Amino acid sequence: MMEIRKFSRILGLCAALGASTAMAVPAYAGPEDQSITLGMGEDFPTLDGYINTARDGVVITMHIYDMLIYRNPKTFEYEPLLATSWERIDDRTIEFKLREGVTFHDGSPLTAEDVAFTYNYWADPANGARSQGSVSWIERAEVVDDYTVRVIAKGAAPAALEFVAGSLPIYPSDYFQSVGPEEFGQKPIGAGPYKVESFGDGLVKLVAYEGYYEGGAKRTPSIKTINWRIIPDTATRIAEVISGGVDWVWNIPSDQVEQLQAVPTLDVALASTLRIAMVALDAAGRTGADNPLTDVRVRQAVNHAIDRETIVANLVGGDGEILNAPCHPVQFGCDQSAAVIYEYNPEKAKELLAEAGYADGFSLKLGSYRDRSRAEAVQSYLAAIGINAELEMLQASASFSSWREGKVGAWYGDWGSFSLADSSASLGTMFDGSSNDGARDETVIQLIKEAGSVMDPEERKAKYAEAIRIITEKAYWVPMHTIVMGYAYTNALDFEPTLDELPRFYDASWK
Amino acid sequence: MLSFLLKRATMAVVVMVNVSIICFVLSNVAYDPAIGIAGAQATDEDLALIRQTYGLDRPLLVRYGEYIGNIAQGDFGVSYLTKRPVLDMIVERLPVTALLAILSMALALAIALPLGSAAALWPDTIIDRLAQLLAVAGQAIPNFWAGLLLIVLFGVQLRWLPISGSESVAHFVLPSITLGTFAMPPLIRLIRAGMIEVLASDYIRTAKAMGIRPFQITFKYALKNAVLPVVSLSAVQLGFMLGGSIVVESIFALNGVGYLAWQSMSRSDMPVIQAIVLLISLIYIVLTLLADLLNAYMDPRLRSARK
Repeated sequence: MMEIRKFSRILGLCAALGASTAMAVPAYAGPEDQSITLGMGEDFPTLDGYINTARDGVVITMHIYDMLIYRNPKTFEYEPLLATSWERIDDRTIEFKLREGVTFHDGSPLTAEDVAFTYNYWADPANGARSQGSVSWIERAEVVDDYTVRVIAKGAAPAALEFVAGSLPIYPSDYFQSVGPEEFGQKPIGAGPYKVESFGDGLVKLVAYEGYYEGGAKRTPSIKTINWRIIPDTATRIAEVISGGVDWVWNIPSDQVEQLQAVPTLDVALASTLRIAMVALDAAGRTGADNPLTDVRVRQAVNHAIDRETIVANLVGGDGEILNAPCHPVQFGCDQSAAVIYEYNPEKAKELLAEAGYADGFSLKLGSYRDRSRAEAVQSYLAAIGINAELEMLQASASFSSWREGKVGAWYGDWGSFSLADSSASLGTMFDGSSNDGARDETVIQLIKEAGSVMDPEERKAKYAEAIRIITEKAYWVPMHTIVMGYAYTNALDFEPTLDELPRFYDASWK
Repeated sequence: MLSFLLKRATMAVVVMVNVSIICFVLSNVAYDPAIGIAGAQATDEDLALIRQTYGLDRPLLVRYGEYIGNIAQGDFGVSYLTKRPVLDMIVERLPVTALLAILSMALALAIALPLGSAAALWPDTIIDRLAQLLAVAGQAIPNFWAGLLLIVLFGVQLRWLPISGSESVAHFVLPSITLGTFAMPPLIRLIRAGMIEVLASDYIRTAKAMGIRPFQITFKYALKNAVLPVVSLSAVQLGFMLGGSIVVESIFALNGVGYLAWQSMSRSDMPVIQAIVLLISLIYIVLTLLADLLNAYMDPRLRSARK
């Protein structure tokens, strides 16, 4: 009895202590002072948009900096941003007319010199832009006059505007040169809607830039302060958004999104993205020349064996959709109707295996990383037709390298196409003969190369369609589904997820 | 004493050199650092450029020689990712990790010392059972689970405490409890076992016979001797904690050395990983040495034995 009374007193003490410390919790306000607190998963080593190219980095880049043009995430049309108009002078040259009166966060005016400097600096591979594909097409940029700049490509670059809109933020040349690239990454200055007030210790504080120009494609922010908190653990992020410690989180797994739906203060979404998932097959024989997957019948059998509909309905959820072609349906040139479709038919799969001489099945390694339950589903569908898949779940980059180095026969991976809505970013990087390419089909490589260098849209479409037909006919991949992104945010917030997985907080507002 | 110190210092250097070799070789052989630096979506040309830029195309032995040479001059290299000196990155995160380690250790000792002693004084009573329950539970419940349970209770349900971040001392309460609970079990056991042994010894019986008050016997005579091995163990545990807890710092979004280690691992930022491993082994070696010295100070017999 004595013990119990003592125990309850201790509990009381704990409660009092708790209540007193609760006062010390810093309250991130929200609607009252037009601020928002985000729970993000990835940390930033720098805020330099050419180095900080992981997903969260791309998102913060588009808040701090502006590019020359803007790609509308709904229509996928290009709209004016720092450039008011642009024109292709010839196959290799694009001329941009800059908006007058734009200032960087330090008040200095934007001129053609800034644009040319930024492009020329990062086009030099020695300066180490993280994603060389975004800049390597640039030969040079030239100042025509104060508000006109020409960008000259090394060859015909039909997807150039995608990079201009998506990956090439404009820096103030004087400031960048005076502080140097490392310092710039810590104390960046851009011409975007938000300026960086502080950066470090797991928090980036952004405040709306009062001098942000009107009339561009990005609207003047309604939310004035963004507290960008880095919370690496998913479960902690979820707990924070439930308790109201943060207003907005993403990268929430599908099953947890369903549970979060029950929280009355939250809105959730499992929104489509440009990211596509596939089971890539080792048709080129990188894991061994005698490997069964080099036989087209075996690859077709694998295609027939996997019930993608069931996987999408039960394990992907939300807005996830089945893919037939090895690219995203919204990407330019991704003609789904060109694809050969394999319906789920395990009997037919077994017949094909028997025909190929593997009636008793065989063993292979299946690499994957994002979602164990989906990978295990594929593993069991393969087991049902006699293929014994040994599953190797790794971290994303390690899994990518095991596929690229030809260590796994099948790879259930996914590809975000750098958020570019052009098949050159999907087909063009997965079937181009690079290490991503497990098919290494000369005809396809040639088609992809041509489609990436002709300017006529109809001709490009036709070439991609032909590539899609060959890839699916020869069953180099099992195109699986789109990847959905799980969001949860307070229902007082007016926010809309976009297909390109780039949340725009200058478009969000408090209700 | 001096020769003892010299011997230990030499040993420490040998251990550190071995640690550096193992760490350097493993982090280079385990998987391609170029992919880690470039990110999963890098193309072949990106990778080739990175190998060239960072000198990863040179033989392992050459790179190790250069690395050790630089360390000898106090240069731990520059992070692949931030391009900042590795030492700066670690030093600026040490305060968070140190605060967490000290709070956790203090909490663990504050509970383990009285509870372990009480369990020894009154064996097989409810207090002893409670001590053993805590010891078993603390050891059996994984950090990440305990941390999440605390978050759910105090952060989500009761909303008394902040869940993540390191802005105020309140932010350190849940992580310290999580880490402290993990450090506590061996301490409880060691104190309990030590006290039981000491309490049964001859000099305690003599003290009792002399009529010295039980309180004084327990705390002045018994605990002082029972606590000797606890000093060593605490030093070792504190050493581990100062290296940063990857799990606890990640769960509670504390921007400390452990979280830095995790980030660096997931991005193959080798210079940072290597420096952290060296740092942990250094702290560990120094604290073990300090614990030995402290023990020698507290127990004259150890001092004379080493002369």
